[in-house]
Amino acid sequence: MHYLTDPFQYEFIRRAVVAAVIIGVLCAALGTFVVLRRMAVVGHALTHSALPGLVIAYLMGGSLFAGALMATVLTALGIGFLARDENVYEDTLVGMVPNVMFAIGILLISTTKSFRDLFSMLFGNILGVTEGDLHLIMLISAVSLMALFLFYKELKLFSVDPNYAKTIGIRVKFMHYGILLFLSFTVVVGIQAVGTVLTNALLVIPVAAARLLTERLGVMMVLSCIFAVLSAVGGIYVSYYFGSASGASIVIFAALIFGLAWIARNLSFPRKRVLKPDTRRSSESIN
Amino acid sequence: MKFPYCQHRHSTPDPKSPALEIQGLGVSYSSEGKFALRDFDISVPAGSSLALVGPNGAGKSTLFKAICGLLPIRKGRIRVFGHPLVACHHRVVYLPQRSEIDWYFPVSVLDLVVMGRYVYLGWFNRPGRRDIEIARHALKEMNVLDLVDRQISKLSGGQQQRVLIARALTQNADLLLLDEPLNAVDVSTRQTVAEVLHKIKAQGKTVIVATHYYNQEEGRYDKAIYLKDGQKCII
Repeated sequence: MHYLTDPFQYEFIRRAVVAAVIIGVLCAALGTFVVLRRMAVVGHALTHSALPGLVIAYLMGGSLFAGALMATVLTALGIGFLARDENVYEDTLVGMVPNVMFAIGILLISTTKSFRDLFSMLFGNILGVTEGDLHLIMLISAVSLMALFLFYKELKLFSVDPNYAKTIGIRVKFMHYGILLFLSFTVVVGIQAVGTVLTNALLVIPVAAARLLTERLGVMMVLSCIFAVLSAVGGIYVSYYFGSASGASIVIFAALIFGLAWIARNLSFPRKRVLKPDTRRSSESIN
Repeated sequence: MKFPYCQHRHSTPDPKSPALEIQGLGVSYSSEGKFALRDFDISVPAGSSLALVGPNGAGKSTLFKAICGLLPIRKGRIRVFGHPLVACHHRVVYLPQRSEIDWYFPVSVLDLVVMGRYVYLGWFNRPGRRDIEIARHALKEMNVLDLVDRQISKLSGGQQQRVLIARALTQNADLLLLDEPLNAVDVSTRQTVAEVLHKIKAQGKTVIVATHYYNQEEGRYDKAIYLKDGQKCII
């Protein structure tokens, strides 16, 4: 038992666990829509795009949060804007923009000749969360979760049948940009835990695991949150006892849960076909 | 009373006006692209039924999408119950082709059908007991009440179609635009759809059905219009 309680004697561990729980819940809740709307690649793009914002903020001595947030929001809106040109495919942009942003980030950090801080930007450092960071994480998460709760009904409709949503007067562009905006918020919060490279994993893996076990949206969200929190807290313990990188430990933990869920599904429903999402969704109209 | 999502006022239908009146309509998918529908005129009296017949790509879906505001109008005008489009959103319901819906999204049949009530709820309001009652009633009418808790991913083609029509019924619209409701469905679904359309018409509502083969439905509609390459054609 003391193995579980021992780490809690340290203030920074207590803070990390609280942050991990909040980040896990936020990533999983929003991640549910990200996965189901086949936006996982957009999440990937946004996570990588945060790097130059982080580096610029770091070089200028400003808030890393603000830097990352600005970079991801600009990228999200930029991708949405550029994709309006029919000659530029959205998936091409999503493949291209993060690489360019990532390169800018690396280029900037290389001017400082110090790669020590780059490591925590890339791979996260939840054990280094400060009191101020925690307050910001709480604020961003509260706003994002509240938005998710308030627009849950419309998000469902927009995901199942965007055209019908449009015919009844819902501004689907507003919904689309809204999702991108809150995805940016979530990414910025997730970066604190697992860094730019691994945040997408926290958005996607717990949901992918939950999707294997249930076909009910509400249950899927709750299960995803539980899996994300378990991964985040489990990763902190592993990191504490084995001295491993916290971000990577969290992601590996999530992957293990996915593996267990896959085994559980195949043991309990051996004859049922695992649901395969079709890839047609990307053609949906947002005009 | 305001229409909750777009804040337009509800307009009372003008009793003397046809349910749908289109003059010189031109619609295209991009601002400079080829017209998918051109010089299209039509007048559909309230309480009548119309079959819109034509091969795939003839412009049937384009016409429906223009009527319910999904595509911008480049030329001409559309009036619904004597009013411009935005005033009558709630009075028009568009039943898309089945392929336009994400059937893998994890919601139940009831969830999907209740979405037909959202138009009256607007932002922040959750569907209440009455909305659920209306949805269940619509499912009963389509003979699929037993599927109420099933996930939409587990429906057959015919069941999907019935559920979609049930959703259209819950909106309680006066002008129904049904895009290929009888395409690739079983005989019993075909029969149920025909009965329900008949019932809707008897309630004084207007039904327009797009279909690419007309023989089997002949005689069920007051009128049929043939479309080819985005234009009305006479056979």
